[in-house]
Amino acid sequence: MNRIRTTLTGAAALLALALAACTDLTLEPKSTPTDATAFKDPGAYQALIARVYTGLAVSGQQGAAGKPDISGIDEGFSQYLRLYWEAEELPTDEAVIGWGDVGLPELNTQTWAVTNSFVGAMYYRVFFQVMMANEFLRQTTDDKLDARGNVNTALRAQIKQYRAEARFLRALSYWHGIDLFGDIPLITEADVVGNVPQPSTRAAIYDFIVSELNAIKPDLPPPGTATYGRATAPAADMLLAHLYLNASVYTGTTHYAEALAAAQAVIAGPYSLNPVYKNNFLADNNTSPEIIFAIPQDGLHTQTWGGVTFLVHASCGGDMNNTTYGIDGCWWGLRLKPEAYNRYAAGDLRTSTFFTTNQSIAVTSIGDFHAGIAEPKYQNVTSTGAPGSHPTHVDTDFPLFRLADAYLIYAEAQLRGGGGTRAQALNYMNALRVRAYGDSSGVIPDSALTLQFILDERGRELLWEAHRRTDLVRYGLYTGNAYVWAWKGGVQAGTGTDAKYNLYPIPANELIANPNLRQNPGY
Amino acid sequence: MRRFHYVMGALLALSWTAPLVAQQPTGTIRGRITDNATQQSIAGVTVTVAGRIALTQPDGRYVISAVPLGAATVTARIVGYAPALQPVNVTGDTMVVDVALTAQAINLAEIVVTGYGEQRAGNITGAVTQVNADKFNPGRVISPEMLIQSKVPGVQVVDNNEPGGGIAIRVRGPTSVDIGKGAKSDPLYVVDGVPVGIADGQVGLSAGRNPLNFLNPNDIESITVLRDASASAIYGVNAANGVVLIQTKRGGRQAPQFEYTGSTSASRVTRLPSMLNADQFRTAVMTYGTASQISQLGSANTNWFNLIDQTAFGQDNNFAVSGSGENTDWRLSAGYLKQDGIIRGTTTQRLSLGINLDHRLFDDRLDVRASVRGSRADDEFTPGGVLSNAAQMGPTQPAFDSTSLTGYYDWPGNTLQSPDNPLALLNLATDKGRTYRSIGNLRATYRIPFVQGLKANLNLGYDVAEATRQSFYPSVLHGQTKTGQDGSDYRSDFSQSNQTLEMFLNYLAPLRSIPGNIDLTAGYSFSQSHAEYPSYLALGLTTDILGPNGITTARTVQNFQSIQENRIISFFGRANYNYQDRYLVSASVRRDGSSRFGPVAEWGTFPAISAGWRLSQESFMQGFKSLSDLKLRLAYGKTGNQSFANYVQYPQYELGDAQTQAQFGNQFITTVRPGAYNPYIHWEETKAFDAGLDWASSDQRITGTIDYYSKSTDGLIFTVPVCAGCGLTNFNTQNIGKMRNRGIELGLSARLLQGREGGGGLTWNADFTASDNKNTMLQIYASPGVTRVLTGGIAGGVGTNIEVLQPGVPVNSFYVFEQRYDSAGKPIQGGYVDQPTVRDTVACPAAPGCVGLYRPDGVINQDDLRPFHDPSPKWIFGHTSLFTYNKLELNFTLRAYIGNWVYNNVASNLGTYSEVTRASPYNLHSSVLQTGFTSPQYQSDYYVEDASFLRMDNVTVAYTFNYRRQPIRVFGTVQNAFTITGYSGVDPTAGINGIDNNMYPRSRTFTGGLSVRF
Repeated sequence: MNRIRTTLTGAAALLALALAACTDLTLEPKSTPTDATAFKDPGAYQALIARVYTGLAVSGQQGAAGKPDISGIDEGFSQYLRLYWEAEELPTDEAVIGWGDVGLPELNTQTWAVTNSFVGAMYYRVFFQVMMANEFLRQTTDDKLDARGNVNTALRAQIKQYRAEARFLRALSYWHGIDLFGDIPLITEADVVGNVPQPSTRAAIYDFIVSELNAIKPDLPPPGTATYGRATAPAADMLLAHLYLNASVYTGTTHYAEALAAAQAVIAGPYSLNPVYKNNFLADNNTSPEIIFAIPQDGLHTQTWGGVTFLVHASCGGDMNNTTYGIDGCWWGLRLKPEAYNRYAAGDLRTSTFFTTNQSIAVTSIGDFHAGIAEPKYQNVTSTGAPGSHPTHVDTDFPLFRLADAYLIYAEAQLRGGGGTRAQALNYMNALRVRAYGDSSGVIPDSALTLQFILDERGRELLWEAHRRTDLVRYGLYTGNAYVWAWKGGVQAGTGTDAKYNLYPIPANELIANPNLRQNPGY
Repeated sequence: MRRFHYVMGALLALSWTAPLVAQQPTGTIRGRITDNATQQSIAGVTVTVAGRIALTQPDGRYVISAVPLGAATVTARIVGYAPALQPVNVTGDTMVVDVALTAQAINLAEIVVTGYGEQRAGNITGAVTQVNADKFNPGRVISPEMLIQSKVPGVQVVDNNEPGGGIAIRVRGPTSVDIGKGAKSDPLYVVDGVPVGIADGQVGLSAGRNPLNFLNPNDIESITVLRDASASAIYGVNAANGVVLIQTKRGGRQAPQFEYTGSTSASRVTRLPSMLNADQFRTAVMTYGTASQISQLGSANTNWFNLIDQTAFGQDNNFAVSGSGENTDWRLSAGYLKQDGIIRGTTTQRLSLGINLDHRLFDDRLDVRASVRGSRADDEFTPGGVLSNAAQMGPTQPAFDSTSLTGYYDWPGNTLQSPDNPLALLNLATDKGRTYRSIGNLRATYRIPFVQGLKANLNLGYDVAEATRQSFYPSVLHGQTKTGQDGSDYRSDFSQSNQTLEMFLNYLAPLRSIPGNIDLTAGYSFSQSHAEYPSYLALGLTTDILGPNGITTARTVQNFQSIQENRIISFFGRANYNYQDRYLVSASVRRDGSSRFGPVAEWGTFPAISAGWRLSQESFMQGFKSLSDLKLRLAYGKTGNQSFANYVQYPQYELGDAQTQAQFGNQFITTVRPGAYNPYIHWEETKAFDAGLDWASSDQRITGTIDYYSKSTDGLIFTVPVCAGCGLTNFNTQNIGKMRNRGIELGLSARLLQGREGGGGLTWNADFTASDNKNTMLQIYASPGVTRVLTGGIAGGVGTNIEVLQPGVPVNSFYVFEQRYDSAGKPIQGGYVDQPTVRDTVACPAAPGCVGLYRPDGVINQDDLRPFHDPSPKWIFGHTSLFTYNKLELNFTLRAYIGNWVYNNVASNLGTYSEVTRASPYNLHSSVLQTGFTSPQYQSDYYVEDASFLRMDNVTVAYTFNYRRQPIRVFGTVQNAFTITGYSGVDPTAGINGIDNNMYPRSRTFTGGLSVRF
């Protein structure tokens, strides 16, 4: 008995000591890779650059919603393209949205607060893209690739292209950032994640983007169907053209000659106008010869509640039949403001998609879908009338840059003294007019080619393509009372607004999170 | 590691001082100490004679040797009993001195379970409340937490009206903010010494209802709540939200005994959302709808809620047999419960088995206790959307339509803006789950032979769970076709296993060099958890023919797998010092390491100290004859909270699925996303102070306890906005912020009527608890940080939040506009008070609405929202009365909350005439008749209501009689007998966040049953 006791006691003591020694606390994630393990798969480089692209197209890592990229706002609302489109269109003379979600109604009327959740989400979307691109660049330095030892020559060549594309996407979002918010921080791959960024200026970031785009052009993949959805040299030229055209807004110095040259470079490329205007906005618009850079959407592979899914559904309501547009239901949201509708003359085929039955021209009430003409410009049916692959999530890609825009930039830069010839400008303009009318009835004489005409034509040709706010700001008509439109300033007749609204505010939370930043003037 | 050696060494050194005594003729005294009234042995009694001292063993026996010869006095002393003195004349022989003690004050001698041990109630220095089975709430109880509702001061049990639904317990208010990947406010649950569910911060895995439902309430002996930091700090990094210790029933030392308890119940719904009836709805549509909506109106008169609710029946059967052999006590139990919900489609069924075995070996030196319990729960859930669509569906429309594909009526067209037929949803969709769970442990206690009072304990425990959930929504359902989901089939098969190993030494002995007793505990604990969460979701089903039974080809299939692992390693020690039951000191320290913390903060130390002074033992108190006990307690401790998400410290690369691919040419590329991470994450730390006073009247009729506490939590873990560029995304999980809870708790028990001498007559025992808690968010760090974080998502709009975390106000305060009213008292649509938000350099006394330097900006926008009340009750009151008259018993429990506010989301979402202008009109909440709102006013404080209430939670009548000399008890219980409240919605206890949105309605339940023992 005693022996048993002694044995037991001894065993217990030994067990105690053995287990007490077990103090290892390390448990690494198993069902998700970490930055230390992800690149053991050489496919991770493509997966990571693909993720920088999908930052424009989806809202998270689970379709259509789930594992969101940014938080603090409903995930569907947080999608990049949706936010950017709303920021560019709702406060202008082109669009109104009828929903009462907190923060949204103020976008219709230029009355937002510094705490506006949509404005805040757009700001964080810009920097989400920047941080993703930076992470790609940090993970693909030569040192890192050498150290991992599993990157062959072919993959290295690929990665070189990817790095240029990451820089393009970063430049694109920085353009949106300075266009919407003015002075924002400049964060590159050289900055340490976690450090509170220092402020930069609109002009400095402008310079950064321009130099980046010029530097990467040779490394970008060539245009063609094999690189559809990816950034090419003409896409970089298109982005440069926009930057130069608006340079006076961003830096106070004009660069119209450079704008014209960049537009010309695009026009010289392999693109041509799609003979049928509306086919640029249908479910098979990936086959359009006109689109230079698109944000691809796909009903089965690239799903989101934002993006073009939002545009197709929100444009539908009232007496419209959703199946006509290839979707399962209408969201009763977007209509035209009367100024946008009235800009078109009879015979303009670009109005062929307008829906007028039981829709008034005047927007008597923002919340009533029947007030304002409906414009199902984006549709989830193909050019042959077949529905898209999914009734909720559309196949229709968003044409961020298309050739018609390059024509319009050429014409405007020419008129603003950027060189080129006025005859060429008129040619480009009339090319668009002939397509719009289906014949020469819309052709304009040289005398009609004015800057105001170009602004109006941009309104007609690029309606609801997320350019309007930038255009109106460049023309000096966005705020103030030189030009008022329905609901500008919060009244139906429209009224002048404070010049502070030319920029969106830096989000109130961001100012506290980053004390280095300063609020935009007037807020 | 080295620390561990020290603790063991110290313990051994202390005990080996025993043999050092002088060599002179001595005698030995031995005996047994018993309770005068019950004749039961009493363990832990301090027996002294001539400066020699011993403690009694569990069988009440003691031995004192080396007592000098001659006259001496044997003194036996233990808290709760009057000290006994017995003169003896010590000779060289062994003398037997048995002593019977007389109870002095009620409950003081009761053994209370504490962490890693137990103590006499009278000697406890922390805020600890134990509720034994005889005080549990009666009636239909599915979840164990419900047993102690209203019984423990400072404990809020937030139940869910769904039978067996999720339950939250808050001990002394919320200590965490429960957001995102942040830490949870739930207490730690310890069942028979095994901490359950420290795996992922949850109580464990289940198919969707309360994970603690695996425990059959009939098997529970006692539930103890460790409320303050000094009591709970022995659980270290898991203890900040309090600790709930659950002990199960064990065998007794007697012949086999059989017990059966059975009951059946019937429930009816008490309150439903107040929607417009058919006539009112028709009038609303005719007035506010367009031709399109008016043309859709039918002529039926359908009460949709009547179609989906039911009288719910339930039954509960429990059988237990217990007994003992010479060295073995055992108890076997089996239970079967089936309960339907008052909303059709809801059912819960539970089969449970339990075995407890206590075995004594080696002359009772080794106690082995094994405990295994397992259960299978089958849950059926009312399909999602039934309640909300019953509210929204037009009462003028019929339920059935023989021409439709499903046989049920649906609005014409197939639009997103038409509610679904709730009856079709209820009858065609299925949602069910099954949970297997078993928890068990083996505890060995070895009284080491050569050191008196030293015990070695080993505790091996496991907790495994397997939960499957399956829901099927056929493609023909209106809700499926209108959303383009076209049929959905979801399956999950989650599993989790936790293991715990604990070893500790316990030394309980009188001190020889100084007066008093000491009780030392030191140990090591290791626990780890592995959980897997695979799931399958198919959308766009090609056929409904297989229903939920098969896998059909689908348009979209999404599969998920997540593995979660977690480990905690701890060293702990505690010392209790007791000087003559008069001065009591307790100190504990625990050092915890958790795999959840980043490398810089893996380990944390959590100390606590408390002291008690039993004033009633002092001579100067002897004049106060009316008091038999008066104890002052003071305690201070530090505890932690680590119940937040795993792997926050690792830079994870989240893989995308097949629906978030990038298009490169004609290829679709799956993506990977670098995620936010925080290598500096560490535990939340709560520092708590408690001062308490316990008293008992000398006639043993009244006992009371009162506590004041203040606890502040620092380093709150939640997912908060970070500055652009400060992380890979705009939110990250951080230790950010600080909050405080302060309050007063009062508990009173009284035997108001004591019946006749020798039994019978009328008795009345009453218990009363009152708790006040004031929570304040103190700080959200400035850099990097934010001034406020919005919480409390509601139905209505998208992403609309109604609550806020903001310094200076309670967590989750409502964040709303201040509604303006017209002269008739009607709220003005869109009429909100323009709050002073613009700061001027000089005061603006002339402008209306100015406050100091701040003036209104003339625009109503998001800047004009302000915090306004909060969902937590300011005061919680509980009262239980038990009357007995001979064999008859009447028992009721009342509960009252004061100062809890609720946001009536059904009213705010559906109380606007714009709802009838949808593609098909939605039914309206009747509040629209008062407000006349024609557009939604989600953020108006009009919908934030004072939901203070008084509720009779249960009332029971029981009668006990003997049949063939065996006791039989028959009883009837009414639960939720009545509720008195000014709140207009469905239930004033609207969950923990105070948002009343299509919640499961509350029922009144009638239960009848009997229990027999033979």
